[in-house]
Amino acid sequence: MSHINVKVAAIEQVTDLIKHFTFVREDGQPFPVFSGGSHVVVSMNINGRIQRNAYSLMGNPEETEAYHISVRRQEKSRGGSVHMHDALKVGDSLQITFPVNLFALEKRARKHLLIAGGIGITPFMSQIADLERNKANYELHYAYRAPEHGAFSKEIKANIGNKLITYVESEGGVLNLRNLLSKQPLGTHVYVCGPGPMVVAMIETARTLGWPENHIHSEQFTAPPSGESFKIKLTKSALEIVVPPEMSMLEAMEAAGVDAPYLCRGGACGRCELEVVCTDGNLLHHDHYLSEAEKAAGKKIMPCVSRAKCDLLEVVL
Amino acid sequence: MERGYWIRSKPVYSALVWQQQANAHLVLVEGSAGGLAAMKLFQQMLPQQSITVIYETEAGGADYTAALKKVVPDDLQVFNSHDAAMKALEAHLPEALMGLRIYVAGSEKFMWDIAQIVLHYGVDDADIAKELTGTLARSVYCVHCKAITHNAHTNIQACSGCGKKLFVRDHFSRRLGAYMGLMVDAEDPGQIPEIEEIYP
Repeated sequence: MSHINVKVAAIEQVTDLIKHFTFVREDGQPFPVFSGGSHVVVSMNINGRIQRNAYSLMGNPEETEAYHISVRRQEKSRGGSVHMHDALKVGDSLQITFPVNLFALEKRARKHLLIAGGIGITPFMSQIADLERNKANYELHYAYRAPEHGAFSKEIKANIGNKLITYVESEGGVLNLRNLLSKQPLGTHVYVCGPGPMVVAMIETARTLGWPENHIHSEQFTAPPSGESFKIKLTKSALEIVVPPEMSMLEAMEAAGVDAPYLCRGGACGRCELEVVCTDGNLLHHDHYLSEAEKAAGKKIMPCVSRAKCDLLEVVL
Repeated sequence: MERGYWIRSKPVYSALVWQQQANAHLVLVEGSAGGLAAMKLFQQMLPQQSITVIYETEAGGADYTAALKKVVPDDLQVFNSHDAAMKALEAHLPEALMGLRIYVAGSEKFMWDIAQIVLHYGVDDADIAKELTGTLARSVYCVHCKAITHNAHTNIQACSGCGKKLFVRDHFSRRLGAYMGLMVDAEDPGQIPEIEEIYP
């Protein structure tokens, strides 16, 4: 997979927990333009271990001099967000992938309803730029815990005015999904990005009110959960690799030098899907890609986030 | 017809069933068979949400208006012309909300006329429940002169635009609401296969 070598041009502390990073290309060339909602995967070298995390691009998609991401310091970090916050300095070099969009706006929508929770605001920052340029009909509903967590709230307000509606939990603000979703004009598409429970609640509410599936869009990057150690056997390359408790299958394969396919690394896109030959235990699926039936059938696994409780798992690679 | 032959673009229709998860329901039916399809729908249950029924009656056919008046609780609109029924649909949509479930029973022309109208309101045809009733007549798009000929009952149909004898394919355009028609004797002028009624 081809990468872009970038340098950190600026770091801004946006809130106590959120930092905004500006990247420029090392070769001085312009970045490719992208579409609102795209993300890149950032590779970082943490004491010799390569960690790759996906982050939404939040700048204007037409601006090619720099890319912008924001990172929330995760309490249960596996190292990525803490590394970005504590170790990364202006002038440091990183590798990023070309932008990929798994959270694209539906251009035929009559209205776009954007719903953000906390750091889930980032993909909407680039989408707003697209929507403003296309003079689209939209609203952004942005919920966060307390005023000090409302990253970019002021900046967005200045750009889009009363199309931004905020809900601040500490001030008693409540986003009532049922009220909001039950009064939207025919042809509306809804997009949600935020904490897991919020995403699930939005999807379930929309379904209950009769929204068709193709009008419901969500993005959630899951960090690979840790678990027990197990061994994987790759049938084509005849390799046996131990997956340690704190590493994902994908990371363990990469550490062993295997060029395994991936895109989002968050269980969303399905690119890294592997065929399961057999296992002496159970698969622990953590992705948002496979259907419940596929998960139950146990013939496929997403190694970026899923693992197994077993001694040996055999996959085709 | 060749056994096992199937073309992906050919629509497959099924019987109407209420969607339990909904904000409101809009039922559009055409002719005698469509009226009966609406009655069948109300036999299943009476949904919680508000229901509008637009019924386009058919001259000379059985009229289910009286029966529908007894079962449709909120809003039954009956029309004796296609244009009036489509105008009623247009009038219903600007105020409609997400969660409106749309059900159509009638000829293919009826359902795809509706699909083209609701597309302007951001509704994909895949989200419309469709039941084919009354006739299998096809609308045929002439790939030569681009005219659309409605009500084709035969495997070969004369184009209403250029007069060419068109072989009616299964290849269907959702955008046009019509099957592709190709000049059947383009290779051997005058060699027209037997014309048979296969879309009664």
